[in-house]
Amino acid sequence: VSTSWRVPYVDFPAQFAGEKEELMNSVLEVFERGDFILGDKVVQFEREFAQLCGVKHAVSVANGTDSLILALRALDIGSGDEVITASNSWISSAAAIALVGARPVFVDVTSDQNIDPALIERSITPKTKAIMPIHLTGRCARMPEIMKIADKHKLPVIEDAAQAVMSHVGGKRSGSFGKINSFSLHPLKNLNAAGDAGILTTNDDELAVKLKMLRHHGMKNREEVAFWGYNSRLDTLQAAILLPRIKKLESVIERRRRNAKIYLSGLAGVVELPVEREDEFHTYHVFVIQCDRRNELQSHLMKAGIDTKIHYPIPIHRQEAAAYLGYGEGSLPVTERQAKRILSLPIHQNLDEKQLHLVVNTIKEFYEHKRTVQL
Amino acid sequence: MDKVRYSYLQQQFADPEEIFDGIRKLLKTGAFTLGPEVEQFEKSFAALIGTKHAVGVGSGTDALKLPLKALGVGYGDEVITAANTFIATAGAINEIGAKTVFVDCTKYYTMDVSQVEKAITPRTKAIMPVHYTGEPVDMKPLMALAEKYKLPIVEDACQSIFCEIDGKRAGTYGIASGFSLHPLKNLNVWGDAGIVVTDDDEMNRKLRLIRNHGMKNRDEIAVFGFNSRLDTLQAIVGNWLIPQTADITAQRRKNAAYYDQELGKIPGIRFCPRRPNVHQVYHLYIFEVDQKHRNPLLKYLLSKGIEAKVHYPIPLYQQEGLKHLGYKAGDFPETDRQAKEVLTLPVDQHLSREEADFCIHHVRKYFENGGM
Repeated sequence: VSTSWRVPYVDFPAQFAGEKEELMNSVLEVFERGDFILGDKVVQFEREFAQLCGVKHAVSVANGTDSLILALRALDIGSGDEVITASNSWISSAAAIALVGARPVFVDVTSDQNIDPALIERSITPKTKAIMPIHLTGRCARMPEIMKIADKHKLPVIEDAAQAVMSHVGGKRSGSFGKINSFSLHPLKNLNAAGDAGILTTNDDELAVKLKMLRHHGMKNREEVAFWGYNSRLDTLQAAILLPRIKKLESVIERRRRNAKIYLSGLAGVVELPVEREDEFHTYHVFVIQCDRRNELQSHLMKAGIDTKIHYPIPIHRQEAAAYLGYGEGSLPVTERQAKRILSLPIHQNLDEKQLHLVVNTIKEFYEHKRTVQL
Repeated sequence: MDKVRYSYLQQQFADPEEIFDGIRKLLKTGAFTLGPEVEQFEKSFAALIGTKHAVGVGSGTDALKLPLKALGVGYGDEVITAANTFIATAGAINEIGAKTVFVDCTKYYTMDVSQVEKAITPRTKAIMPVHYTGEPVDMKPLMALAEKYKLPIVEDACQSIFCEIDGKRAGTYGIASGFSLHPLKNLNVWGDAGIVVTDDDEMNRKLRLIRNHGMKNRDEIAVFGFNSRLDTLQAIVGNWLIPQTADITAQRRKNAAYYDQELGKIPGIRFCPRRPNVHQVYHLYIFEVDQKHRNPLLKYLLSKGIEAKVHYPIPLYQQEGLKHLGYKAGDFPETDRQAKEVLTLPVDQHLSREEADFCIHHVRKYFENGGM
């Protein structure tokens, strides 16, 4: 896929080239033990991930959608309940809520693409059972403000940190604010498995035990079923691939932040940019610009060999799947406006400066050319 | 000999180089999600079972859950299944919001079809027979019943690749059927994985939609769906194993026949009658002893290094987590009897004659010593 692009959006061959031996040796160790289900390396990975987030427990699962479902189920959220979240996310955020039988309640976002804390309170009803902020693109939602609202209303918070491992806000890491928090380890994430994978974090001992049972059919031991559960386990094999990668995560993020810096200085004044606030640490899973003539710019970049994406062109509340929730056009104006203006630039750790400057210059050229034509 | 292990994975994959090559290639290309190897595996698997479609999913549990969801089964609905199954069957039914309705099983360890009719209510939306241990449900009368009540059948064939009854394969009777590819199944991969087979085009379309977030395309979501995909990495393992499935099955049947022959000579041992119209594939080899002997015999075998097991000591309807279904002790007498009398011995394709003899020898010895 990547060979035809001058600036590919992802580059798996480059990632694998630097880790080949280490990764395959780690996989081989799984064979030596034969513990393919919830094996040693799963336990080891969970321990390291918990440390990374600065929490007591991490419980791994099959994918980042299941991790949200299990978080909701662990908090006994289900039929008739409401959960407050944002609409401009990957479908899983709202799908998880719907799949446990609850109703997603969407709140609009601010210019940072994350849930607007000022709008949360008016959406709280007696049926509200949790607030699920999403740290979209690797940038934390305004957790200090959100936690205050949640505490006031005694509502648990579930962080959807799928895109935001190691991000922080107010000096605190993603995954350490909420009662239970959810991460994806999907192949396209900053910390990526070679297939579907997810993980949850919590500081609550009882919830950690409950999550471990929920992912394994609700079983207390080989014989006894304590409650209804799921089959949602991180394959030991994926843990074997994630373990060497967790050690490199810090440098992956450093590289992404370095890339972001080049965009931020090169594109200042040209398009709207994801500039960090003072108390934020953005890990740039996705680098999103907001701009006029988005679709034209995207095809211009494509012609120049630059692969870009749109995360996401149709907000969840406007999807066919969510029609029954009754959110009409214009119900979330900021989200809807952004959906037409956002564009994700390649930001992965294996880009070189030449590629980044090519992106910057091609974008500049597009807007300068347009300006000239209009004049 | 001092040990007979239950898991044979280290023997089976003693030389994983060929698969490793596939994995190295995958790590380079990056087609980790629904890559070409998944499609290849699905095609081969459909051909193996003899259905039009096969859809790879995240686990055997999900292979049961997704067809039910595709049929529109949900909150307030009931699904009928067998009382002696593994928790995953009922778990799948519960996950989509429906209620599990149990019927007892026969001496063949599978659903007692004669008891299904009285379990049908206006809320019944599907029947889920379980081809348990590799032994098929009596599908002919069950199909007639389903036809009469216009109820869809989703087969739980998780343990039963290549199992047949009346000349027809498990997995080819229902509107859709779920198989497990868990590391200890007859066709096994290196982690959790499952696959659904169907002849129905519409079912196939819906399954593909709901295993992948309900996505019509990259941008449009038609329904709220799950994330439940067979990893490309696991499909590579599956593709490597598929040509071996017939041999694996044949070897398991051979081992079981040997157990039948030798254990049959020991007074005190029983096993379920073998039927001429059935092709058992022995995912599990189960035999029975009197209740008073079961736990002592299990303990004795374990002390001799034989990894015998009990599938399963506590019937689901008596589990704490399922109490709300409202069943009481004694509701399923055959299931109860089996829970107290069954024992499982290793029967996999890597079990050597010496290992089988070692197991047989110690079972015999237990009874020669008058039980302990």
